Amino acid sequence: MTTVGGEPILEVEDLRIEQPRREGARTIVSSVAFSVRAGETVGIVGESGSGKSLTARAIMGLLPRGVAASGAIRHDGRNLLELSEPQLRSLRGRRIGLIMQDPFTMLNPLQRCGQILAESLPSGRSMGRRERRLEVARRLAEVGIHDETVLDRYPFQLSGGMSQRVGIAAALARDPEILIADEPSTALDVATQQEILAVIKRLQDARGMALVLITHDLRVAFSICDRINVLYAGSLIEAGEAAALHSEPLHPYTQGLLLSEPPSDRRVQRLMTIPGAVPTADQVTGSCAFASRCQWAAEECRRSAPPLVEVAPGRLSACARLPEIRSEMADLRDVALVEAEAPVPSAGAALLVEVRDVRKVFRGAGVPALDGVSIELRAGESVGIVGQSGSGKTTLARILVGLERASAGSITIDGVPADDWPALRPADRRRLRGVVQMVFQDPYSSLNPMRTIGWTLRQAITAHDRAARNVDAQLADLLRSVGLSPDYARHRPQLLSGGERQRVAIARALAVRPRLLICDEPVSALDVSVQAQILNLFDELRAERQIAYLFITHDLAVVRQVTDRVYVMHRGRVVESGATSAVLRDPHAEYTRTLVAASSTTADR
Amino acid sequence: MSAAQRPGSFGRRIGMLGIVVCGAIVAVVAAVAILGSAVAPHSAGAQDVGNILAGPSGAHWLGTDSLGRDVASRLIVGARSAFVGPLLIAIGSMLIGNALGLLAGYRGGRLDAILMRWVDLMWSVPALLVIIVVLGVLGTSYWAAVGLLTILTVPFDARVVRGATLEQAPRPYVQAARTLGISDTRIMFFHIWPNVAAVAIANTFLVFAASLTAMAGLSFLGFGLAPGSPDWGLMLAEGFQDLFQNPLAILAPGVAIVLAATSINLIGDWLYERLSSRGASR
Repeated sequence: MTTVGGEPILEVEDLRIEQPRREGARTIVSSVAFSVRAGETVGIVGESGSGKSLTARAIMGLLPRGVAASGAIRHDGRNLLELSEPQLRSLRGRRIGLIMQDPFTMLNPLQRCGQILAESLPSGRSMGRRERRLEVARRLAEVGIHDETVLDRYPFQLSGGMSQRVGIAAALARDPEILIADEPSTALDVATQQEILAVIKRLQDARGMALVLITHDLRVAFSICDRINVLYAGSLIEAGEAAALHSEPLHPYTQGLLLSEPPSDRRVQRLMTIPGAVPTADQVTGSCAFASRCQWAAEECRRSAPPLVEVAPGRLSACARLPEIRSEMADLRDVALVEAEAPVPSAGAALLVEVRDVRKVFRGAGVPALDGVSIELRAGESVGIVGQSGSGKTTLARILVGLERASAGSITIDGVPADDWPALRPADRRRLRGVVQMVFQDPYSSLNPMRTIGWTLRQAITAHDRAARNVDAQLADLLRSVGLSPDYARHRPQLLSGGERQRVAIARALAVRPRLLICDEPVSALDVSVQAQILNLFDELRAERQIAYLFITHDLAVVRQVTDRVYVMHRGRVVESGATSAVLRDPHAEYTRTLVAASSTTADR
Repeated sequence: MSAAQRPGSFGRRIGMLGIVVCGAIVAVVAAVAILGSAVAPHSAGAQDVGNILAGPSGAHWLGTDSLGRDVASRLIVGARSAFVGPLLIAIGSMLIGNALGLLAGYRGGRLDAILMRWVDLMWSVPALLVIIVVLGVLGTSYWAAVGLLTILTVPFDARVVRGATLEQAPRPYVQAARTLGISDTRIMFFHIWPNVAAVAIANTFLVFAASLTAMAGLSFLGFGLAPGSPDWGLMLAEGFQDLFQNPLAILAPGVAIVLAATSINLIGDWLYERLSSRGASR
């Protein structure tokens, strides 16, 4: 634990961020206040649209054009919001450093890593070429890169984790006293995420630096933060020490967020969900930001915005009804975390998919994407495929639905040989289409932006059954089965939230009444509070329709929650398989052990 | 945020009034092109021999040319040849070019390679020169010029649509349509096309404006309609010698060409802004 001491070195007071427009200002952040002391790690947690990233950028004086901040950000006796651009420039890097989310775009692609770092070193002290190279190498060693050849490489020649390390080294090159990390590990694989967070934490301890960690992931925040501020729709709704917040959240939203995340150590009967989607700051002015989604919301919550007040020593909450509902919240936590029985893999059902020794080599790639993969899936079964990016899991899914052709090996789906879709007879192909369907990762691009939801679903219904009658009734049924009102048929996708879009994408796949749904990271692009809704929906659909799932994900907690059996893939091979609970409890393969270890350390401090 | 409010966007630069004016100009030209001689005060060929190269008057609003023909009437009747040919070129090359572009971009492979080499070839030959040579050898004809210009314009349309299609084809919504078993033709025309329509339609307007000037240019050089026909390009050529007696005889068709072409271009730009902001997600 770092020594946290004394006076705050950064204080944010009444921060308000707006975008002035002709028809009235749009509020992005309505009220945020927090402070950071030397050596302290402060987390700012929120879902998309909460204003967390813009808060970070406001501190750096890097707000996008057309967006203005008011209030005060005090640092070293000055209000950063009042500083001129040259003054801010002398502050950035030297006093306050920033690490950004995407390691691939934050480094200049035309500069070698050595150059990038040399440029960020403190100016003023003149150094010879040799000396500078040594200094840069020392900085790299600090972030765990001991290979000096990295200095002469370009960012695109590095892996995501390596790029992020170089980015960290650059952000720290001028020895700032405050480091702001905006989702530093989100774009990385689970195992790499851990390493990057560890590097940041180690450097922070060694330098006694303050760290402001911005993240949507409560688990990440709990794993390294001292204090956590929870942001929702542009306002701060809860703040407190990480450990206390973890054991007893004091705002229904924080609790909902915690419970809607699949726990990493157990399977629960049903995930708690927060209904609806995250509103914008403007939609919730004049009431409690969370009132529209809160099960305890009462008249008083809708009448005015409750202030953030101290409800326990060191704990701030903006819930007006906290004293009345505190015990109810605790009861709910106990109920929600009751462990469910591990499902028994069904051995009796008919074999639906059989993949034997499938290889896939992409043209121009030396390493095969799939290298002798064999999997089986029975009717009604939910099977997971786990692996990090590059493990070949998505390629396998694309081969199964005929978007890609296997280089070798055999695939049988429902008795039809499906290793070469284009060569199939049209009747067989149509039959296969009716058996397997796919749900894609990014709901923002998987729906045609120029077409209404109704049009898209109608296409799906008639593609399966050209003579389909009462298409409109089927359409309404489909929308209802994924929990949407039939009115949605009139809308175009851009009016829908991410979760609603993913529901439509699922409805589209269900239109042909498939027996197997292949889901490629179906919740990874969604907000945590929405993820749980979609995972529960998968559960309901399975019970209703006896659908089998092939669930592709990098998230072990998700796999535990929704699958019976799991295959672990690494570099194009299946390294381990078995009943999900058994594999996660007692992993045999080296790689599985790393994965399990990585995901459990993020969860528990 | 709507397109009209983005700083520096087209909507702010010329404003809604500008678009209305452009639309009115194109509508007037189109109406006159359809009605033709019915709305002309005089017959386009009628000579007022006593009134050669007269200035504007009550009887002849824009004066008369060297043969005593009424400039205003010839301008009105000439709108048809000025407008219809380019319109057909724009529509024709849009239909063919979009179909080829969608095919090339979506299917790829050999078809794409062949199409694109043809496009490269077309890029490397100067279109007007080819038309002049071909018409010079085969004899001049308005419809031959229209046909040739269409063929020469198709590759440009095809390339633009192919590029846009290449961008759409790997998107998950297209892949989802494929996994549903929707036919390739349907996917190309009903799923992808609406997403490239903004570019395709804007391009069609550019082609329209460009062929309007190209056709006028061909007429001016004597590769269009027969001499003596009422046509804007020909009027320019014929009024040339008498520039100082009745400048309106040459100014009027010149201004008509510039106004029509500019208005069409600006409407194309405006439509592009409107259409491309429509499906914008996120």
